[in-house]
Amino acid sequence: MGAVTDDEVIRKRLLIDGDGAGDDRRINVLLKSFTKWCNSPGTPEEGFTQYQRMLGTLAQCEFSMGKTLMVYDMNLREMENYEKIYANIEQNITSAHEKISECKKEIQRAKRIRKNRQEYDALAKVIQQHPDRHETLKQLEALDKELQQLSHIKENVDAKLELRKKQFHVLLSTIQELQQTLENDEKSDNDDNNQESPTENGE
Amino acid sequence: NKKNCSGTSHFSKWVTCPFKGRHGLALLHMSVFSQSFSPCGRFLAAANNYGEIALFSLSSALSPDATELSQKPILTFTAHEGPVFCLLSTDSQLLSAGNGEISAWSWAELIKKVMGRGKILSSCLMTLLLVSLCCLSQDNSLIVGGGDNNIHVMDLEQGNFKSVLHGHTDYIHCLSIREREGEILSGGEDGAVRIWDCRTGQSVHCIEVYKYESCARPQYGKWISCLTTDSDWMLCGGGPSLSLWHLRSLSPTSIFSLPGCQRQATFYQDMILTVGEGPCVSHCLLGGDVKAQIPCTPQSLNTLALNTNSTEHRVLTVGGSSDHIDVFTNLSYRAFSLSF
Repeated sequence: MGAVTDDEVIRKRLLIDGDGAGDDRRINVLLKSFTKWCNSPGTPEEGFTQYQRMLGTLAQCEFSMGKTLMVYDMNLREMENYEKIYANIEQNITSAHEKISECKKEIQRAKRIRKNRQEYDALAKVIQQHPDRHETLKQLEALDKELQQLSHIKENVDAKLELRKKQFHVLLSTIQELQQTLENDEKSDNDDNNQESPTENGE
Repeated sequence: NKKNCSGTSHFSKWVTCPFKGRHGLALLHMSVFSQSFSPCGRFLAAANNYGEIALFSLSSALSPDATELSQKPILTFTAHEGPVFCLLSTDSQLLSAGNGEISAWSWAELIKKVMGRGKILSSCLMTLLLVSLCCLSQDNSLIVGGGDNNIHVMDLEQGNFKSVLHGHTDYIHCLSIREREGEILSGGEDGAVRIWDCRTGQSVHCIEVYKYESCARPQYGKWISCLTTDSDWMLCGGGPSLSLWHLRSLSPTSIFSLPGCQRQATFYQDMILTVGEGPCVSHCLLGGDVKAQIPCTPQSLNTLALNTNSTEHRVLTVGGSSDHIDVFTNLSYRAFSLSF
C-alpha cells in the first residue's frame, strides 16, 4: 500500500515537475540565495548584485505565473466557446429532425393528392367515353320536336278520317233513304195498279 | 403452380408432396401460399404447400446485428394435412385454412412456444369441402369461401354459421370486404365478381369481368384469382388482365398490361402493388401505367403482405414457388430473404 501511494506521489510529482521544472527549481534557488544573501557577510556591491539577481529571478517567477494564469483563462473561455458551438449544433440537429418529419408529412400529403388526381383521371377517362351532355340534350330536343310533329300529323290524319267517315255515313244513309223511298214508291205504285184493275174489271 | 393456364383448374387434382420436412428436395418443391403478420407486428407467419406454418421474428431479422439464423423460422409446426392456402390474423388469433378445415391458433401461445413453454391451441372450426379463403369483417364474423361454390359467414365468438351466400356457379378464389358499405366482394372460377350485402345476404351486383373486351384474355381463361378493394375502387384480375374498377359506376377505368396472371394485389399510398406469375413485384399507378417491376427470388409469386401493424417493422413480404420469402424494407429493392 505504501509503495503504491509512493509511486502515485512520485508519478504526480514528476508530472507536475515535468511541466514547471524550471519554475520549481527557480523558486528553490531563490529561497536558497535569499537565505544565503541574508546570512552572507560579503561586500555591499556583491550584496547589491545578489539582490538584483534575486529580483530578476522573482520577476521571472511572477512572469511565468502570470502566463499560466492567462493560459488557464484561455482554456476556460475555449471551453465556453465549445459549449456554445455544441448547443448550436444540437439545436440544428433538432430543427433538422423537425424539418425531416415535416417533409415526410408533405410527402404523404402529396401522395394522397396524387392518388386523388389519378382516381379523378381514371374516372374522367371513363366519362369521356360517354357522349357530351349538350349533344345528348340537343338530340333529345330534336327527337322531341319530331315526335311532336308526328303526333300533329297523326291528329290531322285522325280528324280527316273522322270527317270522311261521317261524310260516307251521310252519303250511305242518304242512299239508303233514297232506296227506301224508291221501294216505297214502287210498292205504292204497284198497289195503286192492283187497286185500279179490280175496280176497272168490276165496272 | 396453384393454377394451370388452360383456363380451368381443379383443386381436387392437386397432389400434395409425399414428403415434408426440410430436406433438400422438399425445399425445392416448396411453395409459400399465404402469410400473415401478428397483431403486434413483430412476427410473420407463413404457410406452405406441405401444411406447415413457420413463424419468423421480424424484430430479430431486421435488427442491425441480424445473422443467418435470424432469417430462419423461430417455430415451425404442421397445421394441416394439405396445403394451407390462407392465413388470417385477428386481434389475438391466427386462423389457418387448409384442405377442408379451419384452425385457430392463439398468437400469444405461438409466441410463447418460442420461449419453450405452452402448447399450441388448435380448434377445428368446421369441415367443408376445400376451404379456399377466409376474410374478416369488423363485427367479428369470419367470411369463408368454400369449394362448394358458396360463401359462409361464421360468427367467431359463437363458432356457428350465421348465413350462406349462394350465387357463384364454381368455386370461390378470393374475398374482400368493403367495410364502409358493409359489403362482401367475391371472385371465383366462374369468372364473376359478386358484391353481396352483409345484412340481407343477397347478391347486389354481379360483374362478369371476362365479358368486357378491354380486360378479357381468353387465352388465360375467365377465372378471377385476385380481388381487393379500397371502398370506392376495386382491383380484380386472374385470367383477365388486372383491372381497376370504379364501384359506384361498375365500370373498368384502367387496365394493367402485365404478362401472366396476377394472384394478389393491394393498394398502397398512391400505388398498386401486385404479384402473380413472373418473378417480380409490379408497382403500378392508378392510371394504368406499370411504374416498376422489382425482381424477387421465387420464380412465381403467390402472396404479398404489408405489415401495417407496426411502425418500426414496416416491411413488404412476398412468397411464392420457393422456400424463400423476400422482405422489402424499401419498396424499391429486396433487402433480404427469410427461408423455411
